[in-house]
This record gives sequence, C-alpha cells and structure tokens, in this order.
Amino acid sequence: MAMIRWNPTRERSGLPMELWNIQRDFNRLFDGFMSGGIQDDGSKGLSLWTPAVDISEQENEYHVKVELPGISKDDVKITLESNILTIRGEKKLEKDFKEEHMRRMERIYGSFQRSFTLPSVVKESEINAVYKDGVLMITLPKAEEAKPKQIEVKVK
Amino acid sequence: MTKKNDAAIVKQASNALAVRPESGEEFITPAADIYETPHAFVLHLDLPGAVRDGVQVNIEAERLSIRARVKAIHGEDVSILYHEIANKSYYRSFNLTKGIDTDRIEAAFQEGVLSVTIPKSEQFRRKEIKIQ
Repeated sequence: MAMIRWNPTRERSGLPMELWNIQRDFNRLFDGFMSGGIQDDGSKGLSLWTPAVDISEQENEYHVKVELPGISKDDVKITLESNILTIRGEKKLEKDFKEEHMRRMERIYGSFQRSFTLPSVVKESEINAVYKDGVLMITLPKAEEAKPKQIEVKVK
Repeated sequence: MTKKNDAAIVKQASNALAVRPESGEEFITPAADIYETPHAFVLHLDLPGAVRDGVQVNIEAERLSIRARVKAIHGEDVSILYHEIANKSYYRSFNLTKGIDTDRIEAAFQEGVLSVTIPKSEQFRRKEIKIQ
C-alpha cells in the first residue's frame, strides 16, 4: 500500500495541486508586504511539507523557530549562504511500527526545505541552534555593522 | 476506534484552528497517527512547543481526551518579523471502542510528540488458531 500524506487544506478546498501551489504563492506574496524585510524564498522542488516558522528580532539577535515535532536532530541541516538561511531536513517513518499496523496517518513525513533572506548581516561563527520539545530554535547574533548606532551630531 | 469512530475522527481537520463553543477558547487540533498492533492501539500526536507538565491525557466515559498547553514563545522587547506558528493550546478527543484495558493506558511525551498506548483487553486480542 502506498502511503500518501493527507493534506487537509487541499482536501478542504478541493483544488488540484497546481492551483493549491498558486494559492500558496499568492499568500506568500501578500504576506511578504507585512513581514518587515523577511523574505520567504520558498521551498525548492516538490516539497509538500512546509513546517511553520516564526522569526523575531531583538536588539542584538534574530530568533528563528521551526516546528519539527518528532524529527531526529541528525536529520536537520541548517546553512547560511550570503545571508540566506536555509533549513532542510527529513522526517522518517517510525521504525518501531509496521506499515501494516497503521490505521490513520495525518502526521507529515518526508523532506522539507525552507529558506529566508535575513534583513541584515549576522555573525556566522556565533549561530546557535537548539532542538527541544519538537521545536528548533536558531539564534543568529547580528553583526556589529548591522546593530543600530546612535550618532551625536553637534549643531554649530 | 472501530470503523465508525474512525469516520468521526476524519471530520476534524488536523492542525486546524477551532473554537470550543462552551468556553470560546481557541485551540489547535493536532495531527494524529494511529497504529493497531495485535495487543494495543497506539496514538502519536504532534504537539510541538507543548510544555511537558501541561500535557493532560484523560479518560472519561469511553472518551480519551488530550489537551496541552504551549509555553509563551516570545520574550519582551521582541518584534515579530515573520509569523506562522499559531501558539495556541492543543485539544483533541477520541472515542474508545469496547475491549480496551483502560487501567493500563500509558502515555509518553518526547520531542514534541505524545504517544499513547491503549492496550486491548485479553479477550479482544488477536489469537492465532493452529490447524490440527
């Protein structure tokens, strides 16, 4: 039996996959206007899984949170290339259970990739990632030149 | 978890935001996998960001309910640049079929996944009959 991931959104809207992709791209386009410089570079190829991401900013750092419940730490790769942060990985089927015993599958398996262009330069050597409670938390300290500076100008 | 109950589960779209009418509380319906082995049913639910102490599994009148609190994710002095994570509590319930040993139900929470093992009572287990 081939296992096909159940996609509730697709099922609900009844749209074929291509239309669903167009809809998603439009959503991204409009979301982009509201998202303060963060650009979602999308997922390349046919990656059906888009794990939810939050990106927040503090004075000195960015935090990127990715919801990845039940993934193995070793199956996640984080890369930074000219300020584009890419998170890719794969969630594998549970080894402890046989396929023939599966009665319902709603959780998502397979590979994913997400890329984001960061609004400013970060210190590459000090990027830190922690995986806890099914959430990946990446901390990216801003590079010195990207921090807000206050310059006093004397009025003559 | 008979065929009939299974159909009842399908009506809930997983990962969808829903509102409980009695309290107005918003919650996420977590995605679930269900396995049936000869000895037990096993549920796996995705509860990313849930606090271990805030995960509750209850059995009441042949209904298994799961709720989980998530921790506040953003501290102070933070501006959100990109937002997809709902950051709401989780809630989902399942009808239990007859022939379940409710006293021996076990639950574990690891890496954002709750797994609940629901053992079948002795007379409902699959038995193999040898042909003489």
